[in-house]
Amino acid sequence: MHAFQGVDAGMFIMTGLLGFFMTRNTALRSMEAIKANAALFAYRQVKPVDTVIVRAGLEGFLGLLIALILLAGAGLFGLEIVPRDPLQVLLAFAGLWAAGLGLALIMSVASQLVPEIGDVMRLAFTPLYLFSGIMFPIQFVPHPYREWLFYNPILHGVEVLRGGYFSHYHVVPEADLSFLLAFALVTVFLGLVLHVRFARKIIAQ
Amino acid sequence: MILVNDVYKRYHTDHGPGRWVLEGVNLTIPPRTNVGLMGRNGVGKSTLLRLIGGNDTPTRGTIERHCRVSWPMGFSGGLQGSLTGRQNARFICRIHGHESDMPDRIAQIEGFCELGHAFDEPVKTYSTGMRSRLQFAMSLAFDFDVYISDEVTAAGDVVFRDKAHAAFKKVADHAGLIMVSHAENTLKQFCKAGVLLHEGRAHWFDDINDAFKAYKASLAAA
Repeated sequence: MHAFQGVDAGMFIMTGLLGFFMTRNTALRSMEAIKANAALFAYRQVKPVDTVIVRAGLEGFLGLLIALILLAGAGLFGLEIVPRDPLQVLLAFAGLWAAGLGLALIMSVASQLVPEIGDVMRLAFTPLYLFSGIMFPIQFVPHPYREWLFYNPILHGVEVLRGGYFSHYHVVPEADLSFLLAFALVTVFLGLVLHVRFARKIIAQ
Repeated sequence: MILVNDVYKRYHTDHGPGRWVLEGVNLTIPPRTNVGLMGRNGVGKSTLLRLIGGNDTPTRGTIERHCRVSWPMGFSGGLQGSLTGRQNARFICRIHGHESDMPDRIAQIEGFCELGHAFDEPVKTYSTGMRSRLQFAMSLAFDFDVYISDEVTAAGDVVFRDKAHAAFKKVADHAGLIMVSHAENTLKQFCKAGVLLHEGRAHWFDDINDAFKAYKASLAAA
């Protein structure tokens, strides 16, 4: 295996994948939660937003569980798996999860009103997979294209995640966890607003 | 006591707002009264039940519930397919605030529905009859002041139907009931008063037999 900045290539890709899938799975699975639980709206206590939040919580828990299992497996192969700064790693995971929740809150309403939006959302995650710096170090991307890639909040989360994980990894200066957290805050707020506005309409369907 | 004040309802269709289903419904349903709701297909009986049950909101007008009202029972929904019967029962207990006495209520549901080991299988593997057994057992497990029933007693095989009938009769004797059914005998058996929905409006009758006469007259006129 090639090593980059003292980081094993396998560990480099694994941390990237775990971070990216935290956002992707939370966003896409929770987006479907309203449709999957439509039967429960027979009870007036259950609101559409409940199903989305519960599903996002489940996906976040599963994501962490998968991360622990995969890292433990990597440890059995003799890879260095103890993070340099566990709190920073957890914070990056939390930010990536919250961004997924925000996207899910918005898209769950939008895809109920216009079903095609859900398909577009699923497709949009394929290019994001390439642009989130999972398979290649973002340092290899020259200016000014690197700045453009950093409009993608997932990339910020993945970079900060690696910075907290590996001792000798140089995080590019553009990476900023607060960008990801601000993105999460704005999307969660927007999503909740949409749920307040359209909850009745969704149930009436 | 349930107050329905000047309720209008229409649904949004693919081509703009639909026709008015309910046009100015006024009803006062006194406590502990059994009411049969009748009208031809598509006149808005289920819509009115959903509004009273709080599953949907009126386009105009208000609905006041001064008592504990059940969910519309015998509804096709209400069960999450990937959960088992037991997990569905736990869920219903939780959202109705019966966390503390949950084991008792689940035992009651399990005993009544007589599903055996299928109670611990996912609901999506159930047949229609098994589903309605579970739905019926769950609806009997809570003490509501008013039960809303959308064709609920038509459930399961003959033995279960008799048992359900008897249990439902017992519930209807000490609580209020708002019921939709196309079976004249069922309505007459359970309900004293009647409401006829006709052309978007509701007409109250103190005696269900009078309601049936008016219903038949309206059918003949149409």
